[in-house]
Amino acid sequence: MTLFFLGLGLILAGGAFAWLLQRTRIADSVFALLVSLGCAAALIPAAGVLGGRTVAGVAWDLGPPTGIWAFDIDALSALFVAVVLGVGLAAVLYGISYLAPEREHRSVGGTHFLTALFLVAMALVVTARATIPFLIAWELMALSAYLLVVFEDEQREVRRAGLIYLAATHIGTLALVAMFALWGTHAGGFTFDAFSRSALPAGAGAAVLSLALLGFGFKAGLVPLHFWLPGAHAAAPSHISALMSGVMIKTGIYGLLRVISLIGGAPPWWSWTVLALGALSGVLGVLWALAQHDLKRLLAYHSIENIGIILLGVGTGALGIAYGRPALALLGFAGAVLHTANHAVFKSLLFMGAGTVFRATGTRAMDRLGGLARHMPLTWILFLIGSVAIVGLPPLNGFVSEWLVFLGMLQAGAALGPVRAAVLGAGVLALIGGLALACFAKVGGVVFLGEPRSESAAKGREAGPGYIAPMAALALACVAIGLLAPPAVRIALEVAATVAGAAGPARQDVIAPLTAAASGITVVSGGLVVLIGLAWAWRRMLERRRPSAWTETWACGYNGVAGRMQYTAASYAAPLLAAFARLSGIRVARAPGAFHTHPFDLVLERLVLPTWRRMAGTAEAIRPLQQGRLHTYLLYIVGVLLALLLYLWLGGAA
Amino acid sequence: MIAWTAIPALLLVLVVAPLLPGIATKTKSWLTGRRGPPVLQLYFDLGKLWRKRSTYSRTTTWMFRLAPLALLVTSVGAACLLPLDGRSALLGFRGDFIAFASLLAVGRFALVLAGLDTGSSFEGMGASRDATFATFAEPALFLGFVTLFLISGNLSLTGMLGVGAGLLSAWIGGGGHAAPALALITISLFLVLLAETSRVPVDDPATHLELTMIHEVIVLDHSGPDLACILYSSAVKLAVLGALVVGVLVPRTALPAPLTGLVFTGGLVLVAVAIGIVESVMARLRLSRVPQFLVAAAVLSTLGALLVLVR
Repeated sequence: MTLFFLGLGLILAGGAFAWLLQRTRIADSVFALLVSLGCAAALIPAAGVLGGRTVAGVAWDLGPPTGIWAFDIDALSALFVAVVLGVGLAAVLYGISYLAPEREHRSVGGTHFLTALFLVAMALVVTARATIPFLIAWELMALSAYLLVVFEDEQREVRRAGLIYLAATHIGTLALVAMFALWGTHAGGFTFDAFSRSALPAGAGAAVLSLALLGFGFKAGLVPLHFWLPGAHAAAPSHISALMSGVMIKTGIYGLLRVISLIGGAPPWWSWTVLALGALSGVLGVLWALAQHDLKRLLAYHSIENIGIILLGVGTGALGIAYGRPALALLGFAGAVLHTANHAVFKSLLFMGAGTVFRATGTRAMDRLGGLARHMPLTWILFLIGSVAIVGLPPLNGFVSEWLVFLGMLQAGAALGPVRAAVLGAGVLALIGGLALACFAKVGGVVFLGEPRSESAAKGREAGPGYIAPMAALALACVAIGLLAPPAVRIALEVAATVAGAAGPARQDVIAPLTAAASGITVVSGGLVVLIGLAWAWRRMLERRRPSAWTETWACGYNGVAGRMQYTAASYAAPLLAAFARLSGIRVARAPGAFHTHPFDLVLERLVLPTWRRMAGTAEAIRPLQQGRLHTYLLYIVGVLLALLLYLWLGGAA
Repeated sequence: MIAWTAIPALLLVLVVAPLLPGIATKTKSWLTGRRGPPVLQLYFDLGKLWRKRSTYSRTTTWMFRLAPLALLVTSVGAACLLPLDGRSALLGFRGDFIAFASLLAVGRFALVLAGLDTGSSFEGMGASRDATFATFAEPALFLGFVTLFLISGNLSLTGMLGVGAGLLSAWIGGGGHAAPALALITISLFLVLLAETSRVPVDDPATHLELTMIHEVIVLDHSGPDLACILYSSAVKLAVLGALVVGVLVPRTALPAPLTGLVFTGGLVLVAVAIGIVESVMARLRLSRVPQFLVAAAVLSTLGALLVLVR
C-alpha cells in the first residue's frame, strides 16, 4: 500500500508542479515524468494482486468526525486501479500535447493539476474501504471532473453541460449518502468490513440495493439516468472525455460490484432490473449514437451502450448468485469486468482519435469531414482499431469480453427455473452488436474515407508523436488483450470470483475449461490476422505481375465524385433510424428533395428539463413569500404560533 | 479443439460453393420458361475476372483493397467453424458460434467501409442498406443458435449440429416442443440466409438499376481479382449459411462418411433450388419493408427459443 500511496503522491506532485511552473518550459516534462513514475509505482501493487499476490490493507482511526480511514486492494480494486492509472497515464500524456495550443489564453497548468487530482480521486474511490474516505474521494472526483468539463467556459453550451452534470452527479451522491447512512446504522459501523460482516434485514437490504442502483447508476450513465453524460463528455477537452467516458463512469460499475460483494448477492428482482436496464441502455444508447452528427457526442452515446453491455453482465452475474448458480455468477461478472477494462481502453482511444481529428480540422461535425485517411494515415489506423474493438469483432479485445457476456447469458439457459429467461438477452446483445457495427462503419467511412466534405476537412494533416504515441499504446493494448484471450479471461474470472464470493473447487471447475476455450479465440483472432496478412502479400504479388489501373470512381456514367455528392452520416443512418423511430423517439423528417434527422435526448428533453422547468415555475410562484424583509418574517412567526396555539386549543378541547 | 479430419469436407464445400448460385439461377430460369446461363457460369466468371487486372479509383485507400481479402478470409474462416462432415469442425471450442457470426460481421464491416471509401453516393447507399439489413438479421441468427443450444445443451457448433447433438431424436419428438422449435428456426435461418446472401425478397441479384441494388451496388467499383474474391466469398457465405440450414433440417446420424457427404451435398443443392423457387414465385420487397421481413425471422427464432425454454 505504501507504494500505492507514494505513486498517488507523485501524481499529485506532478500536477502541482505543472500548475506552479506553467510559465516555464520544463513544466510539461516534469509533469509527464512525475505522473509516469507515479502511475508506474501505484500500478505495481495492483499488478501484483492481479498476479495472485495479496496486499496488506491499511486503516487509520482518525477519531471523530471522520472515523476510520481504510484502504485496501483486492482483485476487484486492482483491476479498476489498473484501468484508472493505465488509461489515465495515456490520457494525461495525450493531454499535454492536446492542450499545448491553448497555452496562450488559458491556464493549462491548472487543468493538468485538476487532471492529476481527478486520477488520484478515482484511484482512491476504487481502493477506499470506509464510507467517509469513499465519499470524499467520490466528491473530489465529481468536482474535479466538473472543473475539467467547463474548460472552455466561454461557450454557453459548455456551461450548460457542466451544470447538468453537476446537478446529476449530486443527486447520485445524495442517494449514496442515504445508502451508506442506512447501511451504517444497521451494520453498527461505517467501514466496508462492518458492512460485509452484518446481515441486513430484507427491507433495509432492498433499500440499500435500490439506492446503490440510483447513486451508482447516475455515475455509470445507464438509461434513464444518462442525460448528463453526452453533453458533458462532448464539452470536455478530448483527453478529459477519454478519462470520463473510459474511466470515471466505470466507478459506477465498481460501486455496484462492490455493493454486491459486500451484501453477498442480490435478490432476483434487483438482478432482473439490472439486466433490463442493461438491455435498455445498450439498445437506446447505440440508437441515439446513430443519430448524432457530432463525433464526440456519438462516442458519448456509445459509452451508454457499453455500460448497457456491462450491466447485462452484472445482471447475469447477480442472477447467478440469486438463483444459486456459481458458474453463471462467475461468467456474468467476468464478462462485466473484462468489458469494463476493454471499454476503458478502446473508448479512450476513440475519444483521443476524435480529439486529434478536431485539432487537425477544427470541427467535430461528421458531415463536414471526410477523406482524412489520406493525410492522417496513423490516426485512421488507430481509430479503426478502436472501432473494430468497440464493435466487438475479432481479433481485438472487445470480442473477448462480449464472448464472455454471451456465454454468461447462455449459461443461464442451462439452468432450471425462471433464470432461464435470461438466455433471451443474447438476442438483445446481438442486436446491439449489429447496430454498433452499422454505427462505427458510418463513423470510419464518413470521417476518414471518401472525399473531404469541407475545406477544413481537406486541410487536415497528421498529428505529431505526442498525439500518436498514447493512442498507439492503447491500440496495442486492444490487440494484446484480443490475442492473449486466455490470460485475460482467467484474470477476469479471478476478479469475478472475488465479487461472487465463490471459492474452492467450484471456481476451478469454471475457470479451467473457459480459459481453455478462450485459446480458441486466440486461434481465430491470430488466424484472421495471419491469413489476411498473407492474402494481402499474395494479392500485391499478383498486382506486380498485372499492374492495376487508376481512374475515377465509377458513379454510373457520371464519373468523378465531389465531396458534396457523397452519402453523409445522416443519410447513411436514416434507414436504421426510420426503422427504430418508435423506440428511440428520433424521427427522420422528410421533405421533397431533402430530409434531416434531429438528434435529441428523449430523457433529457422530454423528462428532465420539463420537470426542472415545472420545479422552477413552482419556485417562482412561491417566491413572493420570500421578500427578505424582517417584519414579514416576524409576521410569519406570529402566524405560525397562532396556528399552533389554535391547534392545541382545539386538540385539548377534543 | 482442432480436428484435421474435417479438411476433406471443408475442401469439398469450398470447391462446390460457386455451383450453388448457378443452381439457384438455373431453377429460376426453368420455372420461368427460360434456358438460363450454364450452372457452371460462376466458375467461368471467376476465371475470367481472375485473369484481368484491377482498376481502382483514385479516391480509394488501402481499405478498399483490403476488403475483398478480408471478406474471403472471414467467409472461409466461418466455414472452418462449421461441422461440415457432421462429425467435427476444423476448429471448435465453447462459444465458437459467436466467433462464427463475428467473422461474417468482420467481412461485412470491411465491405461497408470499402463502399464508403469510394466516395460514390451509390456505394454509400449500398453500404447503408447492407449495414441496416445485417443489423436486423443478427438477432435472428443468434436466437437460432440459442435454440440449438437449449436443445443440444452444447455451446459449440460441433455440439449443436454434429452427430452428438441429438437433433434426430429432437425432430422425432424426443424433448417436448423441440420439433416445432427446430422447424421454426429452420425457417428463420433460411430467411437470414436470403438476407445475408442478398437474395429475393431482400435483394435481387438480377437487378440492373443501381438505385434498387444492395449487394451489387456496394461492390460497384471492385473489379478484376478483387471482384472475383468478393463473388467467391458470397458463394462461400451462401454455402456456409446453407450448411447451417441443412445441418438443422437434416440431422447428422452415425451414417458412413460417404453417405453423410451425399446427404449433405444433396441438402445444399436443395437449399439452392429453394432459393431459385423463392426467386421465381415472389418479387422483392420494398426496401422499407425489409426490416419487417427480418424482424419476422427474429420473431420465429424467439418463438423457437421460447418453445424449448418453457418445455
